[in-house]
Order: sequence, then C-alpha cells, then structure tokens
Amino acid sequence: MPEELTDAQLVAAFKGGDAEALGLLMERHKGPLYGYLLRLTGRADAADDLFQEVFLKLVRNPGSYSEKEKFAAWLFTVARNAAMDRFRREGARAEVPLEGDGEKPGPADFTASPEPGPAAAAENAELASRIERALAALSEDQREIFYLRHYSGLSFKEIAEMLGLPIGTVLARMSRAGEKLRKILGPGAQ
Amino acid sequence: MNCGYGEKLALYFYGEAAPALRAEVEGHMKDCADCRAELAALARVSAALPAPEGPGPAVLAAVMAAARAARRGVVFGWREALLSGALASVLAGVFAFSGPARTELAWNSGLDSGLDSVEYSVYQAQDELSASAGDWDYRYSELEDESSNAAENA
Repeated sequence: MPEELTDAQLVAAFKGGDAEALGLLMERHKGPLYGYLLRLTGRADAADDLFQEVFLKLVRNPGSYSEKEKFAAWLFTVARNAAMDRFRREGARAEVPLEGDGEKPGPADFTASPEPGPAAAAENAELASRIERALAALSEDQREIFYLRHYSGLSFKEIAEMLGLPIGTVLARMSRAGEKLRKILGPGAQ
Repeated sequence: MNCGYGEKLALYFYGEAAPALRAEVEGHMKDCADCRAELAALARVSAALPAPEGPGPAVLAAVMAAARAARRGVVFGWREALLSGALASVLAGVFAFSGPARTELAWNSGLDSGLDSVEYSVYQAQDELSASAGDWDYRYSELEDESSNAAENA
C-alpha cells in the first residue's frame, strides 16, 4: 500500500478489508494525536488509553467517519470527546505536578529543551518550566484552542466548525492566549 | 496589547494569512514591540512542544490486532453472502425445472424428498455459519480482553 494515499483513501481501503491501511493511518497521525492527548491529560497512561480508544472507534464503527470530512478533524473531535468523557468520569482533570509525581511523568517532562548542551542544562530546565507555567496560566478555553491549532494542523476555521463556535470566538481565544504567553514569558522569549 | 492585531497575528503566525494580510501584519510589527514579543513567545512555546513519537508499541499492536480481526469479519461476511446466493440459486433451480408437474408438486414424493434434501443442506450450512460466527465472536471477545490487558500493562 503506497503511503501517498490520502487519509480518506486509507480509510476506504480499511473499510474494504485492508487492515494494514489502518496501520498507515496510525503511523501518519500518531505523533500529533498522542502529543495532543498527552497535553490534555498530563499523563502517558491516560494518553495511551485515549489513543487506543480513538482508533478502536474507527475499527468497531468504520461508518462513523465519512470520507467527505477531513480525517484529522474527525480524529481530533473523537479524541477531544473521549478526553472530556474521561474527565467527567474522573470528576475533574487530574492535577499533575509539572514535574510529574515521581512515578509518572508530568507535562514538563514532555517539553523540549530549546538549546542542547550540558552547560545550558539549568537554563533550559528553567525556560521549560516557565513555558509550562505560561501554558498553565491560560484559561481552559484558550489552552484548548492553542493545543488544537498546534497539534492538529487544522485551520482556525476547521477548529471553529469542529467546536461549533464562530471563528471570531476561536480567534479571540487564540489572541488572548498569545497575549498571556507574551506577558508571562516576557521580553526574554525573544 | 491594545493595537488590535491579536487575531491577525494568530492567523499570520500559523500561516493562514492571505498575502495582503501578511504584508499588513509585517508592516505593523515594524512599529509594535508587543506584537513582535507575542510572535516570539508563540514561536518559543511552539518549539517547546514537539509532537512525540506516539504511544508505546503495545498500544499500536492492540489496535492492529483488533483491526485485523475486524477485517476478517468483513471477509467472512462476503463468504456468507456468496453461500446464501448459491443456496438461493439451487432452490430457484428446483422450482424452475419442476415444469408441468407444478400442480402435482405437493403430491410428488420424489420432488418432495428432493426439497427435503435441499432444505436439510440449508440447515446444515446455517449451523456451520452460526458455529463459525460464534467462534468469531468468541475470538473477538478474546482480542478485546487482550487489548485491555495490553493497555493496562503498557
């Protein structure tokens, strides 16, 4: 199966009986989807569960995706809904320390260091921590838009459709997110 | 930021600004330190959030196992359909060739026993299909359990 097939073509192949087409779909989307889920949940085990749940939905109910829609939009909609359901079941989003709780990694463990080298290790860690604090300072709505735009690759218009919001609202939330990040990270971010 | 360019900056940063808007934002940023700082903050935060490789191999393997089992069910469905079509054809053939003796069908012991034979074959085939379907359901349940266990142990 050549990799240049579109997402819709891969899903159609899967529906037609080619299980390996799903493997190619997963390979293509696993990084961004997993990154998004990791950011939403703050826990690798929860992100694993939700990732599996999303693709099993396609396995068990292939008709839930229509080739007319963008696959990434379907994927991240299902992922978001699954995460929200999980939060509802757990009562609230689990508060995970930035540095993790000793056994499981926290969000800060998944933040890349901007500059390599042991000499700058302390500075890198401090910057990563500042970035995590800046993201934590965003409202849930702002953070949601930011993560969706960053990981899904969907346009703001597509995100607005996915969330059932006016595009103006989505852009306003993104704008406020950007402003907050600027204020918290300060001129040193440049 | 009071310059009112926040939303336009977001479109610009993510490459969604049309050429005219791009030029407008770039022109504005020459005179707006806040917008330059915001662009830098977005770039720094985005660079710090790379997409990870993905979940562990156990998760991917569990999904693929379920996918392969589900697709075997699709193939099974086709076979079932073909067998049903074949049996329907046999039955149709029996009635098609009954000819002038149609009015005597009910009393024709030879045809009657032939129909019994066909009917029996149909029941046999149905039993075999049901048994296979049961096996498939059982196997699918097994795979679901395996998937859950794999996910828990991952």
